[in-house]
Amino acid sequence: MGVARLKKAELYYHKSVYGEIAAALQNSGSCQIISTTEENKKRPSDVEALLSKTEDRLADVRYLTRTLTPHYVDPVPSLDRMLGERPDVTMTELEELASQTDLKAVCERTRAIEHETGEVRTKLSEARMNISLLAALDFFPYPLSVITEGTRTLSGLAGTLRAENVSGLKAAIGDLSQYKDDTELVVAPYDPKDKAAEVYAAVIFSRKLESEIREICTKQGLSFIEVPSVLKGTTDEEREKFTASIAELEARESELASQLADTAQENVPTVQKLSDYYNSLAGRYGETLNSDETASTMLTKFWLPADKADGIRQTIEAISPDVELTLSDPAPEDEPPSLLNNGNTVRPFNILTELYSSPTYRGIDPTPLLAPFFWIFFGMCLGDAGYAIVVFGTILYVFRKYKKIAPGVKDFIRLFLFCSVSTFIYGVISGSFFGNFIDSFVPVLVPLKNALMLVDPMTNPMQVLGISLLLGVIHLMFGLLVAAYDKLRHGEFIDAIGNDISWFLLIVGLCLLGTAMMGMLPAHFFDIGRAMAIAGAVIIFIYAGKGEPNIFKKVINGFLALYGSTSYLGDILSYSRLLALGFGSAVIGMVINLLGGLASDIPYVGWLIAIVVIIGGHIFSIAINILGSFVHPLRLQYVEFFGKFYTGGGEAFTPLTLSQEYVNLKA
Amino acid sequence: MELLGLSLALFGAALAAALAGIGSAIGIGVAGGAAAGVMTEDPNKFGSCLILQALPGTQGIYGLLIAFFVLNKIGLLGGAGAVALNWNQGLQIFASCLPIALVGWYSAIWQGRTSAASIQMIAKKPEAMGKAIILPAMVETYAVLALLTSILMLMGVQVG
Repeated sequence: MGVARLKKAELYYHKSVYGEIAAALQNSGSCQIISTTEENKKRPSDVEALLSKTEDRLADVRYLTRTLTPHYVDPVPSLDRMLGERPDVTMTELEELASQTDLKAVCERTRAIEHETGEVRTKLSEARMNISLLAALDFFPYPLSVITEGTRTLSGLAGTLRAENVSGLKAAIGDLSQYKDDTELVVAPYDPKDKAAEVYAAVIFSRKLESEIREICTKQGLSFIEVPSVLKGTTDEEREKFTASIAELEARESELASQLADTAQENVPTVQKLSDYYNSLAGRYGETLNSDETASTMLTKFWLPADKADGIRQTIEAISPDVELTLSDPAPEDEPPSLLNNGNTVRPFNILTELYSSPTYRGIDPTPLLAPFFWIFFGMCLGDAGYAIVVFGTILYVFRKYKKIAPGVKDFIRLFLFCSVSTFIYGVISGSFFGNFIDSFVPVLVPLKNALMLVDPMTNPMQVLGISLLLGVIHLMFGLLVAAYDKLRHGEFIDAIGNDISWFLLIVGLCLLGTAMMGMLPAHFFDIGRAMAIAGAVIIFIYAGKGEPNIFKKVINGFLALYGSTSYLGDILSYSRLLALGFGSAVIGMVINLLGGLASDIPYVGWLIAIVVIIGGHIFSIAINILGSFVHPLRLQYVEFFGKFYTGGGEAFTPLTLSQEYVNLKA
Repeated sequence: MELLGLSLALFGAALAAALAGIGSAIGIGVAGGAAAGVMTEDPNKFGSCLILQALPGTQGIYGLLIAFFVLNKIGLLGGAGAVALNWNQGLQIFASCLPIALVGWYSAIWQGRTSAASIQMIAKKPEAMGKAIILPAMVETYAVLALLTSILMLMGVQVG
């Protein structure tokens, strides 16, 4: 239970066995290498060469993964992959695969395809631009070469101008043509009423007049357009040519795409395996060195769980007799990482702590403390026996079907398996089975349901509200006691009393006092409660003024501290969400049954619609309510509970392991 | 005038479903925009983005829940027919709908903004998913409290 004890290991060995030692540490999966700066990592030259070769291959693998994966259609559904349906391979097999695979050739082929695809796309977009330009120039009756090349004596230009300027341009060119007959203005059809419309126009003129014509055109507001020099024939001829070339290019593009897809289909599984292989090697050779002690001896320092030490020692001593492994307890100045070490029952809840922040090595592991509360709170929020059965059944099916689920994923799923039990229990005692399914559709079971009911949120919500708030008080007070314990452990006796015990006394006292006053507890609890509350308040008052020489400031600090009790009120009321969310899922279920009931009144197809509505609706309800039932109890742990004693701030234990991104990789 | 009570009650139910629904729609929209932005960079974040995007959706459900609660209370669901309500009772039901209508509306929008920020956060730090979920959930607290208030008020109203 709690944070596992770690040992600091210093391992001295001869250079010649470096590779085997590094592999052994990685394969054990329980050593976190204490890292050092890159300059201090002095690897034997053969290892250095191996590492740089590995990194070179990794670059290829990454390129291929990035380029090919989007075109790869995995025959196995991604959900199955997530649940562990991945190839089982060993490092030895992968070494063989790596030596047989010519990654460079695949890269070259892929690059060639990519390169040509790029070229084809550029040509395509040019051709498409030309087609749209041709559409605009359709009014031009002559071959476009007049504009793009000109003849011996003539030249031309094209451009756009506002419709209102057309007559001006016409007049200006007309003035010129009085002298020279070989100038012509061609204008695309336009609507003279729409003055702001952009109109395409082209001018053909004698080469001698080029500069004057350009000047006139600019003055009249014509903005020139560049007609690409490939356009030579009439617009119709050119269009035909480009349409044909577009068809050709598109065909080539799709051919290249299918080539890329084929390459992907053929190579991605191998590339993925090699990705894990090379990443494992890069991790192994990149991380495992600390320093080079002497010319031929090397040193690696790492953390390992105390209970794994013997195993590691045996493995290492089997490699070479010339090794020296010294194990020591963490020194006070060390900040070891923390490894949560909880049994099967609590371990699924580890993720809740890790999502917040890992504890420090010497801190408290809050997982076993929050687990029972989270379990109860989740049950109260989802709170439906029918939903619980669905969740439980689905998870059992998943566990039966998928045997290779990764341990982390499996624990997370198991968390919901556990919580479905509390959901079932609360569903039974609050009489919720797929909402009010029993009342609506199977009245024969109503007496059974009612016999098992202990609380009834529908007709007596105040009762459940009371239970929710009571659980809140218990949760918070438990948090205070843990905080006090943690302080006492470190010898901070006064802080434990002043900060935590005092509030515990005040709040428990007030609760006793209140409940006794309402007659829910025997009268003598009133006196006990009052004594506790007063004692708590006095301690809080005095503790807050501690270390303050000025008597007025002492008093002010004391009152301010007591004012802090409002935050406890807020914390306690926050637990009313347990009622609200449980209510929410029950009523959503009720609404679905109601809609199903209404649908069943439709003639002939009613029963079918009702079934669809009820099944679909409840699936939706389960999904949305699981999200809420996970998030809100988690918040109660993080904000209300952890706020009393836990800050985390540790570093999680991350051992050097084989990379398992795509395959289940064994040593 | 004998239908004024019924009308007030229906008006309340409409506000609860509509305002809270509008809030959720805006909140989910804001968060969805951020999610789409993150996914253009990293499509693998779809799962976590979707969860964060869904968070501001609960207010709409709370509103719907209260609306159904009202319809059920005034007998408009099922074949029994509407119960007689005087205007006083109608106004009481109307008032009961206001907490979830107003708080649902506004909190969903702000929760959506927090979700969007959280989505940006997991784009850079995917390991911070736990914290990313909790931040929007802090906002939702007030919608939950409003839901609770509406439910308790509605249960207290005597009709029929």
